[in-house]
Amino acid sequence: MKNELKIFKNNGEQKMRQTVNTKFKQELKEFGVGNWNACFNCGNCTAICGLTENGFLFPRKSIQSIQMGLKENLEKSVDPWLCYYCGECSDTCPRDANPGELMMSLRRYLTSTYDWTGLSKKFYTSKFWEIGFIAFFGAAIIAAFLIFLPPSQRVYSNPEAFVNDQGGVMINSMVDGISSTQFIKIIEYGDWTMAIIVALLLISNIFRMFYKVILKDKSIHIPFFAYFTEFFQLIYNFLTQARFSKCEKKSYWVGHLLLMTGYTIMFMVIVVLLPEFQIEEVKPWYHWQRILGYYATFGILYFLIIAAIERLRKSDIKFKFSHESDWLFIIMLGLTTITGILINIFRLAGMPVLTYYMFVLHLAILVPMIIVEVPFSKWSHLAYRPFAIYFAKLKKASYAQQAIKSQLLTT
Amino acid sequence: MSFEPKIVSFLCNWCSYTGADLAGTSRMKYAANIRIIRVMCSGRVDPTFVLKAFREGADGVLICGCHPGDCHYHEGNYKCLRRYKLLTKYIKQMGIDDKRLRLEWISASEGKQFAELANEMAETLRNLGPANIKDKLDFFQKTKSVNEDENVEKEKMEAI
Amino acid sequence: MEEPRIGVYICWCGTNIAKMVDVEYIAEEVKKLQNVVVSRNYKYMCSDPGQDLIIKDIKENNLNRIVVSACSPRIHELTFRKALENAGLNSYLFEMANIREHVSWVHTDRKEATEKAKSLVMAAIKRVGFHESLAKRSVEINPASLIIGGGIAGLTAALEIADTGKQVYLIEKKNSLGGNLAFVDLSFPDLSSVKQILDPKIEKINKHPNIKVFLNTEIDEIFGYVGNFETKLFENTKSEETLKFGNIIVATGLKPFDPSVIPEYAYGKLPDVITSIEFEKMLKEGIIRTKAGKEPKNIGIIHCVGSRNNKYNEYCSRTCCATGLKYANQLRDALPEAGIYELYGDMRVFGKGCEEFYTQTSRKDIVFMMFDQRNDLPKIKANTSKKDFNMIIEINEKLSGEELNIPVDMVVLMVGAQAQDNAKDISHAVGISMCGNAFYIERHPKLDPVATTTDGVYIVGSCQGPKGIIDSVSQTRAAVSRILGTIAKGSVQVEVTTAVVNEDVCCGCQTCISVCPYTAISFNPEKNISVVNEVLCKGCGTCGSACPTGAIRSRHFTDLQILSQIEGIMSLELEEV
Repeated sequence: MKNELKIFKNNGEQKMRQTVNTKFKQELKEFGVGNWNACFNCGNCTAICGLTENGFLFPRKSIQSIQMGLKENLEKSVDPWLCYYCGECSDTCPRDANPGELMMSLRRYLTSTYDWTGLSKKFYTSKFWEIGFIAFFGAAIIAAFLIFLPPSQRVYSNPEAFVNDQGGVMINSMVDGISSTQFIKIIEYGDWTMAIIVALLLISNIFRMFYKVILKDKSIHIPFFAYFTEFFQLIYNFLTQARFSKCEKKSYWVGHLLLMTGYTIMFMVIVVLLPEFQIEEVKPWYHWQRILGYYATFGILYFLIIAAIERLRKSDIKFKFSHESDWLFIIMLGLTTITGILINIFRLAGMPVLTYYMFVLHLAILVPMIIVEVPFSKWSHLAYRPFAIYFAKLKKASYAQQAIKSQLLTT
Repeated sequence: MSFEPKIVSFLCNWCSYTGADLAGTSRMKYAANIRIIRVMCSGRVDPTFVLKAFREGADGVLICGCHPGDCHYHEGNYKCLRRYKLLTKYIKQMGIDDKRLRLEWISASEGKQFAELANEMAETLRNLGPANIKDKLDFFQKTKSVNEDENVEKEKMEAI
Repeated sequence: MEEPRIGVYICWCGTNIAKMVDVEYIAEEVKKLQNVVVSRNYKYMCSDPGQDLIIKDIKENNLNRIVVSACSPRIHELTFRKALENAGLNSYLFEMANIREHVSWVHTDRKEATEKAKSLVMAAIKRVGFHESLAKRSVEINPASLIIGGGIAGLTAALEIADTGKQVYLIEKKNSLGGNLAFVDLSFPDLSSVKQILDPKIEKINKHPNIKVFLNTEIDEIFGYVGNFETKLFENTKSEETLKFGNIIVATGLKPFDPSVIPEYAYGKLPDVITSIEFEKMLKEGIIRTKAGKEPKNIGIIHCVGSRNNKYNEYCSRTCCATGLKYANQLRDALPEAGIYELYGDMRVFGKGCEEFYTQTSRKDIVFMMFDQRNDLPKIKANTSKKDFNMIIEINEKLSGEELNIPVDMVVLMVGAQAQDNAKDISHAVGISMCGNAFYIERHPKLDPVATTTDGVYIVGSCQGPKGIIDSVSQTRAAVSRILGTIAKGSVQVEVTTAVVNEDVCCGCQTCISVCPYTAISFNPEKNISVVNEVLCKGCGTCGSACPTGAIRSRHFTDLQILSQIEGIMSLELEEV
């Protein structure tokens, strides 16, 4: 305890005098609810939180920084990402300042600061931009299919020709002059292009996050070995979201884990394993690709239904304040899932026309969703969170080293 | 057991006694050596009172009044100050250390200062040791009454 | 003289005395003393059953002297004197030993404390044997009252008294009525207009047949005693008028703290650092501008200026926190987009409606930052670099531990309250005491908060300590009800602990005449003796200790009484008894 106290004292000495940003709060208001005025810094929120620890005293420190207009403090902070929004703090707040929702707003704000294109801020702060972008992209995909990969005329006149002997639609063979193998290659190339663009954007943003959080923070000196020793934290937390399980309300963690594993599996299946997945042959129900598909569908649907009901009922304080980006996420993911299920139904029912159009619609929703959500909006937290935990561990390693140094100096 | 001095203290009603009361209501702790006698004004402290206190066995005498200019009776504390100066000279001649007699100004708001003063004076007197005035005088009186006749006393009185 | 029959009563004061002093042991011990007829201990002597105990004993055991050993005589001496009177005994045949404030509350060793308490009780027993019956003197009350100070307290007092048909003389040193409040725009916590409170009062006073107002007038010296005071007034140092009155209300108010002595705040050096008084003027005019005539974008409000800091004034000025919040509200209304920074040491907005006021204010997008009021004041510096703001406040924010610069265009210093410069002159003129901060001292902070140690003189409003309107008015009304009570009674009993000359012993040296501060002693050349005027004598006893022949007796503080008290105090340790 004594050591820890010393660390903060040392930090204080190294800190530069920070200038209050008088316009910051106005800027932040666009990212969600802003009743930080209600907070009088009692600290109950931090006291009740199961995730907060010395050096990362959220939500109190974060709200304080908002109140005082300490933009620099917030930009180098990883605290908002360490919170999983169980809502305990908002329940406990004696002044109804809703610290949980403030942390959520901060995550939106931070996402926009990491993004160098400026699109993230546009999507978060303007409905017109976000919906317009998705609609435009979706329309472009539909147009591309209808122009370059239109279904054969025989689909309408002789649909039986596209149904195999198992009664399933031969989904890859409906375009004239393009073989089944060629079709799947085209889709695969498209998938990879999307994945690479998204990954490049996300990685560049993560690097910006690293710059703001670690490199720019002059008060810390990360011991070099820590970059390697703490790396497993990144992988471990990405896969298990173990921190979320420390929250008081465990059901949220279960739901979130189902969703995350569901869409990760789905993403792997449609990008990496597409030739094995999108095939003409109908596999038996116990085949791995069908099992994975059913699991992913169940996981995503379970989460979506719960989330939609709770947000509509506003049962818990966590669900009381929904930003439009929250609703857009639920709606887009829901539509993607429903169209995916419909493709499967139409395909198994041997209805090639409906299968084709549902497939195009599915892609027209899925692709813009991924391009908007993953690098620029809500989905980006799948990367920022584990990285934030990694960076937090690095900061802790730095604090520990400083404590040892100051102890050596004093003794 | 170590020597614990006895201090007789004269406090004026308006400032110092109230100040000592304030030390009480503020629960300030001080040495129990001091015993307080209330007078309306430090100007009422007759030199006889001080000498009587020493005669009865006090190891120290403390007089407290209002600060100069704050006397409830305008200038009683100045009168006291003058008497104190003379009295200090007098007790020195009698062989009493002048540290045993003190005059201090304590206002009604100076409870803390009073408590500190009480401790400080007790400490000074502890270091000085007992005054032994009463013992000496008692002894002197005894020997006197043995040697001298009562009539001699009477004659003397008449002569005066 | 009759043989003393003494009753001794040791009070427990609940556990206040009993836990540090063995009251039962003392009661048993003093029983052995000569002349002690009854010795008891009881939980609360000041309670009705406690007093009844004394009265019953006096009647049944024919007691003629009473000693109560309890709290300070400054608190309950009058209570017990009343009890003696009720039992038909003269109230001066009573002595109190203070074993609470002077023993149980200040000592930590039970044995030492018990011994000390015992010696004080013995001193009181020895002393009381020499007490004499004294007759009280009745004094007629002049129904007119003098009020010093024309602020909200003085105005309220004047109207309250004058409305009952009694004459009031209202003295104000400035050339207009209203005091400090006349400069204030709105009052907290309801943001009501001060003008609406003040103007009707002033108007009514100026027209009132029973109120005579003296502007530009200061008090020099007041003569007399309760019921019969007298002073000469010099209005504009010209016309002279003699006033006679029975009671005095001192309502001289406060003086704002001058912040130029605080180097950190650069008041007087930076033009846009202003005091709350100056800002109030701006609010009254309705135009908030920097010295350069621009509308301020960011405004800092610094609390506790000159208050709660050992270097300046250690006390809290009580009204500035709420006033600072009031400014935040007024600024938010006037400049909806401005940044408002409340920099405080501790937020102390107490009283009815005030916490709610703070809560409401805090929700109006006002930034609250805390600093160390005692050791680390914020510093105001001119901004030399960019031109979009005037000044920078450097603050070490205490709650977050952050070291910050706040860009501001205007800083309002919430200056604290101080006693008036002439507080001492007034205290001498009316005969009241000041505490260390030059505010006047009440007779007792809880039991008698508006009266003073001088009968007939009352203190109200901020001259007694910093106060808001609500507290000042309540205190004033309390004082007024006391005065009207004595006027209704028509007369008041005054103490007769005056000096008296033994004509047979007085040698006519006139030493007493030279030391008397009240010129109460005159010389009778026919008899060649000094004579005390009992009306003028206030009983300080200075003459008694100056008298070379012992001819002057200070009643109730006679040589014999005090000498026996000394004997009593010293007797315990020497085990003579």
